[in-house]
Amino acid sequence: MAMDEVDYEIFGNEMQFVEVELDPGEAAIGEAGAMMFMQDGIDMDTIFGDGSAQQGGFFGKLLGAGKRLVTGESLFTTVFHNEGNGKRRVAFAAPYPGKIIPMHLAELGGTLICQKDSFLCAAKGVSLGIAFQKKLGAGLFGGEGFIMQKLEGDGYAFIHAGGTLKELILAPGQTLRVDTGCVVAFQPSVDFDIQFAGKIKTALFGGEGLFFATLRGPGKVWLQSLPLSRMADRIVMSSRLASGPGARSRDEGSLLGGVALGGLLGGDE
Amino acid sequence: MSHPPVSARLYGPGGPADGMAASLAWRGQWLVVSGGEVVLHTLAIADLRAEARGFNDSQLGLYWSDDAGDHVLILDAAALAVFREAAPAAFGHRLEAVRQAQRRTDRRFRWGIAVLLTALSLPLVALGLFLGFSDPLADWVVKRIPPSVEARLGEGVLAQTRAQSSLVASGPVFDGVQAIAQRLAQPDEKLRFYVADRPEINAFAAPGGVVVVNTGLLRAAGSPEEVAGVLAHEIAHVELRHSLGQLVKAAGLRVLLSAGVGDYGPLTDWGARLTELKFSRDAERAADTRGLERLVAARIDPAGLPRFFKTLEKSEAGGTPPALLSTHPATGERQASLGAAIQALGTPAVEPIPVDWPALQAALPRPR
Repeated sequence: MAMDEVDYEIFGNEMQFVEVELDPGEAAIGEAGAMMFMQDGIDMDTIFGDGSAQQGGFFGKLLGAGKRLVTGESLFTTVFHNEGNGKRRVAFAAPYPGKIIPMHLAELGGTLICQKDSFLCAAKGVSLGIAFQKKLGAGLFGGEGFIMQKLEGDGYAFIHAGGTLKELILAPGQTLRVDTGCVVAFQPSVDFDIQFAGKIKTALFGGEGLFFATLRGPGKVWLQSLPLSRMADRIVMSSRLASGPGARSRDEGSLLGGVALGGLLGGDE
Repeated sequence: MSHPPVSARLYGPGGPADGMAASLAWRGQWLVVSGGEVVLHTLAIADLRAEARGFNDSQLGLYWSDDAGDHVLILDAAALAVFREAAPAAFGHRLEAVRQAQRRTDRRFRWGIAVLLTALSLPLVALGLFLGFSDPLADWVVKRIPPSVEARLGEGVLAQTRAQSSLVASGPVFDGVQAIAQRLAQPDEKLRFYVADRPEINAFAAPGGVVVVNTGLLRAAGSPEEVAGVLAHEIAHVELRHSLGQLVKAAGLRVLLSAGVGDYGPLTDWGARLTELKFSRDAERAADTRGLERLVAARIDPAGLPRFFKTLEKSEAGGTPPALLSTHPATGERQASLGAAIQALGTPAVEPIPVDWPALQAALPRPR
């Protein structure tokens, strides 16, 4: 099945959305809840699975839906197809501050490995599969878990990275050590593994954890500066409702502690 | 025999950093690498090094060096399959090594996941074993509990009953219950019978031979034989040391459940309670059977017990079932199995219990 070629435009700086232009008869799939607006003439349809051609038959669909469940996405995908006569637009918004990355899968060799939850939308025909991280160390300590998402096809797919995006091209054999959790996507030619931080002192007191994720070229990698979990931790920590170690809620309640003493002594972490 | 060219990505000196598309074809013992229509490299097998690369070792890396520097070709999984097919035999063993490396990664993954799942399911396995062998386990523990501990537990239960309600310790009600109990109990059994002034239709046995009957039960019962049936059932609980066994099982179950599903409050509690209920139902059936034997041995009409259940059933129809039923099997089911057991006994010799039932009921304290 031929992929639908879509034109797109990305708006915004730190909180982005992508507008996808669909020719008559073209369709795009979106992550449930990501749609921001759509123009007249675009028909929305919810299907079981991801709508790619590989999923023939009932069991194929069931399998696809099961995979989506494993990667933490909803069972159903929403398809937006243009039933009008002219070009029509549908927009998908990023769920948290960061950057939307347009990925042209054909140019990238047809396959891309992503962190689960990073998928935003794609041309209809792109298949959303799962790829198990088979290196145990990387699965346990790599920050992404054992389940990654595999995008296959030759159209456009849009994925979302938290914070600022860094796109890197690794030369053959070139290695990059990355804090676990910062890897968004990479080409399958890239080795993803972990490495012990090396020094016990660093591991225990350095605050960077025991392991680094290591990426070895050749291939392209995409890194995010702010994994959602990290931001969520900070937000919860500074919440008035937070409790437990690290909660800084009470500071603001008391005049002295919050503004003068706590503010000066505590500083900003 | 000609094979279609295999597509790959070529990285090397002078080329773009993210590689360029290349196609590979074997010409005899030579590997020809071309980009578009232009032949870029012609390589001898001896100069090539093959290695499993990339995510999950799923890809093939082909390495060689020349005057310009180091070159790498990366083939994805689909291209590798075609490439392997077309490769001359002399190159085959190198690809075999790659395939083995890939299989090793797969195998390690499968073993790792298996070990992980096993470790995670260990508490659940322990729980399953516990449920399967709970009876012998509880028996084993109960046998090791000394009678003094049991007696102390019984005293505790009795003290609690005293604190919650007043005991009827004299008068026709007390004497009547003792008379029924006398018929049932063997002289060498250390059993103590108490009457608690409570409205619920209930009777219970505590460790150490303590049996307590509520006045509510005496009010509901239609004859001394019915009360005798209930008492025989409770004595069977004492005899079989059910309350101790249940204590042991409940404690063990809670420990295992909290290890298995974590301290996930409602779930642990629910699971524990449900299983305790099942434990107690099994115990009730055993007590029914044993109680029946005791009734027959004491020459008391065994039909009193099922008749009492019929009385219970009537009160059950009026909404909330009496406390006695909450941990007991369905009354209908018990009646049926008891009825069958009595039928099997034939007609045992019975002597009526010499208790003036209407007088006893008239002497019951007023329900509060």
